[in-house]
Amino acid sequence: MSPLAFGMISLLLLLMVPAVIYLAQSSLYETNFDGSFGAFTLRHYLDLFSNDRFLRNFVNASLYASGSAAVAICLGVVQAWIVERTNTPGRSFVLIISIISLGVPSVLYTISFLFLLGKAGPLNQLLMWLTGSATPIINIYSLWGMIVIEGIEFSPLAFLLLSSVFKSNDAAFEEASMMSGAGIITTFRRITLKLAMPGILALLILIFIRAFESFETPALVGRPGGVSVLTTDIYAAIQVQVPANYGQAGAFSIMLLLIVVVLLYWYGRLSRHAERFQTITGKGFRPRVVDIGRWRWLTSGILVLMFFVIIGFPIGIVTWVSLVPYYDGVHASALKLMSFAHYWTVWEGDMFHDSLANTLIMGAACASVVAPFTALCAWFAVRRQRGGQILDQLASLPLIFPAIVMGVAYLQLFLHVPLLYGTLLAIIIASSVRFLPYGMRYSYAGILQIHKELEEASALSGARQATTFLRIVMPLVAPAMVTCWLFVFLVAVKAVSIPILLAGPNSRVVATTIFDLWENGVIGELSAMGMVWTLMMTVVSVTFSILARRYGLNVR
Amino acid sequence: MKSLPEIRSLARLVAGAMFAAGLFAAPLPAGAMTAQEVLLYKGADRQKVLEEGAKKEGKLTIYSSLTVNQALRPMVAAFNKKYPFVKAEFWRGDTRKISQKVLAEMRANALQADLLESSGLGQIMVQAKALEKFTSPMFAKIPAQFVDKKQLLAPSRFSYMGTAYNTKLVPAGTQPKTFEDLLDPKWKGKLAWRAHSESGDLLFVANILQTMGDKKGEDFLKKLSGQKIINFDGSARTLVNRVIEGEYPVALNIFLHHPIISAKKGAPVAAFPMEPVPSIAGHLMVPKGVNRPHAAMLFIDFYLSDEGQNVLRKAKYFPVVAHVRPDDSIAEVSPRVSNIKENYLDVEELFDYHKKGAAILNKHFR
Repeated sequence: MSPLAFGMISLLLLLMVPAVIYLAQSSLYETNFDGSFGAFTLRHYLDLFSNDRFLRNFVNASLYASGSAAVAICLGVVQAWIVERTNTPGRSFVLIISIISLGVPSVLYTISFLFLLGKAGPLNQLLMWLTGSATPIINIYSLWGMIVIEGIEFSPLAFLLLSSVFKSNDAAFEEASMMSGAGIITTFRRITLKLAMPGILALLILIFIRAFESFETPALVGRPGGVSVLTTDIYAAIQVQVPANYGQAGAFSIMLLLIVVVLLYWYGRLSRHAERFQTITGKGFRPRVVDIGRWRWLTSGILVLMFFVIIGFPIGIVTWVSLVPYYDGVHASALKLMSFAHYWTVWEGDMFHDSLANTLIMGAACASVVAPFTALCAWFAVRRQRGGQILDQLASLPLIFPAIVMGVAYLQLFLHVPLLYGTLLAIIIASSVRFLPYGMRYSYAGILQIHKELEEASALSGARQATTFLRIVMPLVAPAMVTCWLFVFLVAVKAVSIPILLAGPNSRVVATTIFDLWENGVIGELSAMGMVWTLMMTVVSVTFSILARRYGLNVR
Repeated sequence: MKSLPEIRSLARLVAGAMFAAGLFAAPLPAGAMTAQEVLLYKGADRQKVLEEGAKKEGKLTIYSSLTVNQALRPMVAAFNKKYPFVKAEFWRGDTRKISQKVLAEMRANALQADLLESSGLGQIMVQAKALEKFTSPMFAKIPAQFVDKKQLLAPSRFSYMGTAYNTKLVPAGTQPKTFEDLLDPKWKGKLAWRAHSESGDLLFVANILQTMGDKKGEDFLKKLSGQKIINFDGSARTLVNRVIEGEYPVALNIFLHHPIISAKKGAPVAAFPMEPVPSIAGHLMVPKGVNRPHAAMLFIDFYLSDEGQNVLRKAKYFPVVAHVRPDDSIAEVSPRVSNIKENYLDVEELFDYHKKGAAILNKHFR
C-alpha cells in the first residue's frame, strides 16, 4: 500500500472512530449535573423498552417518513411523467424548481410553510372566508403538517431521480398500449407506472430514510404540536433538558443508527436487483415523448401549479414577511406599512455579517477538503490500488450516520478534545466527514470517465504515481471536481443538525441563526436574512447546474 | 494532496500551536490581579482598573435571554458606545440553552461566555456550582431583599407573569380572570404555555403549589390537565406572537409587558394579571473561570447604572434599581406601582419547587 493511501486511511479512522466511541460511551454512563460522565449504567437502554416514549417516537417517525415519501413521490411522478413522457408546452422550465430548491436552507423552507399554512396564514384565511368559520380550519403543527411539508420539500429530489427512471423506459411499450386502444390514463397506470415501479420503490425507501433521520421539519413543526420523533428527542435531551441528558441522547442515537443501517441495507438490495426491470436493451431503443393532444394544456397547468406550491408561494410569503412590520396574515392593509426596515436591521447588525462569513468559510473549507480528498479515494478505488477498497468503504461510511447522530458524536468528541469546542473548525471537521459520501459519488463518476491508458502513458514516460495524479488525472477530472466542490458547498451550508449542536457564539452559521431567530420570534429579520441568502445561493446553484449538465454529471 | 513528510510537518505545527496555547493558559505573572480579585475589587480606583483591564481584554461575550430587538441589542449598543474599546457581543438563547452551552463550554475547557443574564438561570447555575462571586457598588441602589447574600447573582430585571389573550378570538372581559376560571370547559385546547421552561409551565406550577398548598394545588393541576394545554417550545415573546397571529387564543404565564407593548402597536392582544401574580427576578451572573473579568464587571456596573436601567426602562422591562420607575405604559401590571397581589419567588424557592413541579408536569401534562 502506498504511504499516501495508508495515511488517508489512518486519517479517516482517526476522524471517525473516536467520535463513535465517545457516542457509545455516553450512552453507557450516567450524566452528571455538569455534563461529565458518572457511573456505568445500562439504564438508558433499559429505559428505551420500559417506557413507551421510544416506541411512540419510533411510530411517529415511521408514519411521518412513509407519509413524506408518499407525498414526495406522488408529486415527483406527476412532474417526471409530464416532463419526460409528454409534449407539454414549457415542460423544461421545471428544472428551475430543482435549481432554486437546492439553494434554499431547509429551515427557511419549513418556516415558509409555517407562514403559509399557520393559523394566520393565507390558506387558513381563505378557508375561513370560504366556509364562514370563525376559527382556523387546518392545524399545521401536526403529523399531517409535517408530512405535507417534508413531502413537498423532497419532491424536487423525487422528480430528478424519477425523470431518469422515466427517461430510460422504452416508448415502444406505451405506443403498443395506445395502439391497442388504451387511453392516456390507462397507459400511464398500466404501462408507464408499472415499468417505473422498481425505481419508484427504491426511491420510496431512500426518501423514507432521509425523512426518518431529518431534523428540521420535526423540530419546527412537530415539537410545538406535541409530535416528537427520534431526532427531536435526541436534540431535546441535549438542548432542552436540564441537566443535559447525554446518556439518553446517546442511546437514542445508537438506536437510530441501527435502524438506518437496516434500512440502507434493504435499499441497497432493492436497487441492486433493479436490473430485472430494465427496458433499455440493445435493440432499437428510443425513449420518446407521447403526444397527449389537448390534455397538454391541463398538464401545463399542473406544472404551473406545482411551481407555485414548491417554490412560488414559499418564496413569496418569505418576501412578504420580510417587508411587513409584523406578520398577521396576508391582507391589503399591510401593503401601506411595507418597508425595507428588516433588511436594514439585518444589514447593520453583526449577526448577519458574522454568520454569513462563517457560513461561506465553512462551506468553502468543507468543499475544498472533500473534493480533492474524495477524488484521491475514488482514484485509488477505481484503479484498484491497494487500500482503494478500504478508502472507498470508509469514505462512504458516514452515510449510515443520521446528521443529528453525527452531531451528538462529534459534540462528545469535541467536549473531550482541547481547543476545538465551539469553533468553526469543529463544524468544518464534522461536516467534511458527513459530506464525504456526497463527494464520493461525484468523484467516482468523474474518475470512471478517464481511461487508464492516459495514466499508463504517463507512467511509461517515467512519472511517479503522485506526478501522474497531479498532472494527468487532476486536470482531466477538474470539471467533475468543480461540480463536486459546488455540490458539497451547497449541501454543507444548508445543513442545520451538525452546527446546531456544535456552534459557539462566534461560529454561528446562517442556517442556525435562522433557527435561533425563529425560536426567538424575530421573523421579520429572519425572512430578510433568508431572502438575501437564498438569492446568493441561487447564483451558486445555477452555476452548479450549468456545470453539472455540461459535464454529464447529473448524479444525486 | 499531502505526502507523508508534509503531514509530519503539519503535525509538528499543530503540536506547536497546542503548546503555545498551553502557555497562554498558564497563571498570570505575579502582581496582576486574579479574575476573582477583579470581580470582588472595591478599591477607589475600581473604574480605572476595570477600564484598563477591559482595554487589554478587548472583547466581551454575553449570553442573555433578553428580547433582542427590544432590550438586548440597545443595551449592548449603549455599552459599546460608552466603552468603544471593548467589543461586546451577544448571543440570545433561553434559560436552558444558555445553561447547556455554558456547562458544555466549561466541560470542554473552552469557556466563551463572560457574562450571563436570564431569569430562571440562577438556580441552575448555582446548583451546578458554575458561578463566580462578584460585587458592584451599584448593589447599594437595589432593594436589599433582592441582593444575593452569596454574591453569585445580581438582579437584572423583574418579571411579572400572567395571561395573554387574542382580543379577536376572546373579546375583552370574557378572558379567564382567576385560576379557577381556567377549568371552564370552553377553554379546552385553547390554552398554551411554554413547556420545560423555568419561567413558563414550571413557574406556573410553583405559583399554584405555593399559594394553594401542595395537596390542593396538585388537585387543581390534575383538573387543569384535562384542558389539554398546548406545550409550546420557544420563547415567551414568540408565544405572545403566536397569540397575536391567532394560533393560540390564550397563553398562560407569559411576561405581562409583552402583550401590552404589542397592543400599543395595534396588535389584537391584551394582558391580564391573574392574582396572585408570580414574579421573579432575572439575574446577571459571571461564569466560573471567566476569561474577561474586567469587561464583565464593567458591563455589570453599566447595566445597573441609571444609564443602563434607563435603557431597560425604555425597552419596557421592569428596572431593578429602586429609583428608576417602570415606563408608564407598562406600570399597570407592576405590583409595585399598581395594586396587584404579587407572589415573589426567590432562587431558593424556585429551586425547591422545580423538582416537585417537574414531577407533576411529567405525570399530568406530557
